[in-house]
Amino acid sequence: MNAIANPKPATTDTVLRVQGISKSFGDNHVLKDISFDMQKGEVVSLLGPSGCGKSTLLRCINWLEEPDAGHIRLNSERMGYAGSGAKMNDTQLSQMRSRIGMVFQHFALWPHMTVLENVMASPVHVQKRDRKEVENEARAVLKRVGLEDKMDMLPSRLSGGQKQRVGIARALAMKPEILLFDEPTSALDPMLVGEVLEVMRDLAADGATMVIVTHEMKFARQVSSRIIFMDSGHIIENRSPEDFFDHPQTDKAKTFLHSVQYK
Amino acid sequence: MNFYDYLSFVYGALSTVGVSFVAIIVGIPLGLGLALLRWARIPVFGKCAYLYVSIVRSCPAVTLIMLIYFGLPQFGISLNPFVAALISFSITATAFNCEIWRSSLLAFDRSQYEAAQAFGMTRWVRFRHVLLPQIWRSSIPGLINEMTLLVKNSPAISVIGLLDITRAAQRIGARTYEPIPPLLLGFAIYIIIVMLLIELQKRLETRIRSAGI
Repeated sequence: MNAIANPKPATTDTVLRVQGISKSFGDNHVLKDISFDMQKGEVVSLLGPSGCGKSTLLRCINWLEEPDAGHIRLNSERMGYAGSGAKMNDTQLSQMRSRIGMVFQHFALWPHMTVLENVMASPVHVQKRDRKEVENEARAVLKRVGLEDKMDMLPSRLSGGQKQRVGIARALAMKPEILLFDEPTSALDPMLVGEVLEVMRDLAADGATMVIVTHEMKFARQVSSRIIFMDSGHIIENRSPEDFFDHPQTDKAKTFLHSVQYK
Repeated sequence: MNFYDYLSFVYGALSTVGVSFVAIIVGIPLGLGLALLRWARIPVFGKCAYLYVSIVRSCPAVTLIMLIYFGLPQFGISLNPFVAALISFSITATAFNCEIWRSSLLAFDRSQYEAAQAFGMTRWVRFRHVLLPQIWRSSIPGLINEMTLLVKNSPAISVIGLLDITRAAQRIGARTYEPIPPLLLGFAIYIIIVMLLIELQKRLETRIRSAGI
């Protein structure tokens, strides 16, 4: 287990450093001593059977869940704790979180805002940037995800795939240092999955640092620079996609790949 | 009816509207505050809000206003009747508005609130830009309905000697032995007040639709 825990010291290119994260809900130990690093531009897919703690791990990274133990560092700044070692207050935590983009399984768009307003909300209200400048950027980001003709619509008028592309545009508009995807295509009709994966593929090619929780194995293999496989709260494989998919080392991973019918 | 009769209607209408208006202004934000305490599941305070609402909701308007006007002086706080009426109606409006806000909060999807948190919005920004616009929109019909009930409960203030619309009508009728004309006039004034509230509701709703907030 130790062999895959932070094998090298952090470098200036280390965007995310997760060290010894544990999290329990009551008697349920969801995460047990999780450690891994991510370099700039890396795309890591978190795989594993449902209930293995993937989503909780993502939520610990941006402190939506506070881990019981361990450190999260974003570009060497510690998440959740100020320099003095005291817990961050609401404002400090918000500032940290605004540097991490998140895309949700069920989109979680703000239904009372138009598509454009959804994308502009955080840059304007959190990053306090100039509204005009943000609007221009938001339009450009929406164009990038192919939604230039939907900007003034409310999210309820969009298809699932379009909603998720708004979700991605909303995350991109904050110019985050890292993007977290929590099963971004699991709530979509099969025929709409492709358009969302397309956008993510484009981001990966563009050098974005991404953590993706997904059940799309083919996509994970094509787009990831690394696969982290989790089971019962542990990381049990952390390797290149070719190694993982072609030569899984653990029985758990073999069983998993078999059960998702990956060939 | 003579000039002074009409004047007493004007006076009655002013106290009806005045008491209701103050209760609305006080009750809407305080009701929201209580509803948020329960929504945020803050241990002791949430329970207190629940108790407050349960007790106040079971007290008739007339009973509450008498309790306040005759009861508080026992504790050395003597009130003029109008202030007692304002307090009593505000207490009631707060409780009922709390339940209206709360039903909107229950229908509110928490996942998008969490998304706002993930996007770095502070508690205040989340409240102001994500939560409030949505629950305000869904609460307007209930809040306006509660306002009309307040107006129609206002005859309760006559039990502590204040003159409201119905009391004015009753007094005039007793003097002229013609009770129906003043009562109809009183009814007409209630209709006008409630119509104005309904108009307010329409305007608020169209404003929200066009602003997209």
